[in-house]
Amino acid sequence: MSKQSVRGSRSSARDRADERESVTAVRLEGVTHEYGSTGGRFRSGDERTVTALRGVSLDVPTGSIVGLEGPSGSGKSTVLHAVAGLLVPTAGRVELRGTDIAALSDAERTRLRRRHVGIVFQRFHLLPSLSARANVALPLVQAGVPRAARRDRATTLLEAVGLGDRTTHLPSELSGGERQRVAIARALSTDPDVIVADEPTGELDTATGREVLELLTDVGRERAVLVASHDEATLAVADRVVTLCDGRVDDVQ
Amino acid sequence: MSNEAADPPVDAEPRRRTRWRGVVGLTLSRWWRRATRTTKGRIASTVAAVALTIALLVVVTGIALALADGGMATADDADVRITPEESGTLSSVDGVEGPRLGSTNERAAAIRSRDGVEHASPVVVETARLESTDGNPRTVRLIGLVPDGESRTVAGLPTTALEPGDPHYANGSYDGPRTRELVLSPTAAERLDATAGDELSVSMAGAERAGGTTPSVTVTAVADEGTSGGGAPIALIHLSELQSLSGAETGELADRLLLWGEADAARSAATDAYPAGAVAVAGDIDPSTLFEDGLAFATSVIALLVGVTVCASFVATTMGMTVDEDRRTLAVLESVGFPTRSRLAVVAVSTGITTVVGSIIGLGLGMAGIVAVNAVAGATVAPGTVAHFHPVFVPYAIGVALVAGLVAVPYPLAVAARTSVLEEVAR
Repeated sequence: MSKQSVRGSRSSARDRADERESVTAVRLEGVTHEYGSTGGRFRSGDERTVTALRGVSLDVPTGSIVGLEGPSGSGKSTVLHAVAGLLVPTAGRVELRGTDIAALSDAERTRLRRRHVGIVFQRFHLLPSLSARANVALPLVQAGVPRAARRDRATTLLEAVGLGDRTTHLPSELSGGERQRVAIARALSTDPDVIVADEPTGELDTATGREVLELLTDVGRERAVLVASHDEATLAVADRVVTLCDGRVDDVQ
Repeated sequence: MSNEAADPPVDAEPRRRTRWRGVVGLTLSRWWRRATRTTKGRIASTVAAVALTIALLVVVTGIALALADGGMATADDADVRITPEESGTLSSVDGVEGPRLGSTNERAAAIRSRDGVEHASPVVVETARLESTDGNPRTVRLIGLVPDGESRTVAGLPTTALEPGDPHYANGSYDGPRTRELVLSPTAAERLDATAGDELSVSMAGAERAGGTTPSVTVTAVADEGTSGGGAPIALIHLSELQSLSGAETGELADRLLLWGEADAARSAATDAYPAGAVAVAGDIDPSTLFEDGLAFATSVIALLVGVTVCASFVATTMGMTVDEDRRTLAVLESVGFPTRSRLAVVAVSTGITTVVGSIIGLGLGMAGIVAVNAVAGATVAPGTVAHFHPVFVPYAIGVALVAGLVAVPYPLAVAARTSVLEEVAR
């Protein structure tokens, strides 16, 4: 695994790198979200809702890593899901490179996510019946990339994360650290502008977690990375750490 | 940026095709890995359920086809059969006498003179009431034919007991001597309580018109119990004598014409003699006969309905359970940018592959089942073939499985559509 090789995997996007400099990739303005409030017409008015975010505002510039910390239930994952377009906040504005996600239809949000956002989950969430290479190539299928190009891109990315000899292995045949590296390679496959990572080292031992963090740091040099974690070592790689408490921004370091 | 959410219009169509090829290819390779490595049990149970249902459908339809194609009154060892083309009939009422071949005695004689044709005989089937001197009248199917002295089988009964030739025909004058011979099947003999040498009176709808007296015949033989026609109350008689009794001598009518000899020569002779008739070579089974036989048609329709219902129920239940276990995969697909229609396509294609593979295995099992049914029947109750296989069963079984899959697919699709990405990835 080498940092140089991961950055090299973006060669097709080099010409866009300058454009990305000093651009705010992600901006949240006064974002509030209540779970249970978007259920629709058949819900009764007095149904209980849980407020996950209360007026959260933050920016993530391209080329920076922003860490999100806070206790369980503080709203870290909700911020990540809002940035990824997996949920639409109840109030406020979530901009991804200038586009208000809430103004898009479901299909448009899915398309935006495919093209601009890579997601790394704590539990990897690889498809168990697909090889490492097929998992990495998964987002490219929907992007309409031809098969040969998909294989080349996935192989290149797996080599970049140090798994060039594991391309045909199933997830069950890989260690935890290897699976997370496959997940990171998958998040990079469409060359996204933004990477969101939810507890990326949560399932890994210290040494493996360090390797994954090096990879994320390398990825963050050309992209905006938003990482949520309880782990101090993980947050230490961030350029800025935003502390959330009860859905509010409590502190920024 | 506001336009970035939309795919560029340039090359949109090739990209769309590549995308759908990719989705189908992804589903195929995922299905294969699941079937052979990761979730073998689940896929195997669904495929087995479909296969067993399709196998049952094939066996029952095979029995229905044999029922329609055979029946004891048509079980013969002829090499070629000529029957009237059914489309020529105007009657839509079941049971009404169908079309018949004309000039059969004359043309059969001409066919017999062709090279490669050993023998040709028209066959008339009539229902008559036979009565022995000391018994009650019994209904028997009389089969009229022209024997030639060789060992042949018509309606499952051997023809050798009848005197060769058809003297009563007398070149079309129907005034030659009557042999008054009759060969009874064991069942007919039992019902009539008749044995060889007994005299029986024959009464039928045309008999009064023909002569006003009740003609009589003599039982020349009772077929052995082992003959394939043994189970039905039938009897063989000379063709022209039956034609005279029923009134079919006018026009020399017959239900079919049987030819023995080389198949190609016999087929050629048959086609020349009856260009508009339906010519079938032995070994060829016509599945359209299913539509002409009420019992066989009903049997095959019930098999079809049961097959589709059971197959669809199994597929819907097992695929629904599979999708339910697979919600996380659907959530991951959504998180990496697969829209709803692509995710549903993955589920639908998976269901389709399962049913097609199940139907192919079911076809194999069904063919083995037909062989087994014939073997068991042959060893026990019914000598001869009781179930047929026909190549048209292949598209039929796969088509039925696909229909069952289509009926079943809304359930797994509904389960898939209800999947919440946030609930699944947060687990």
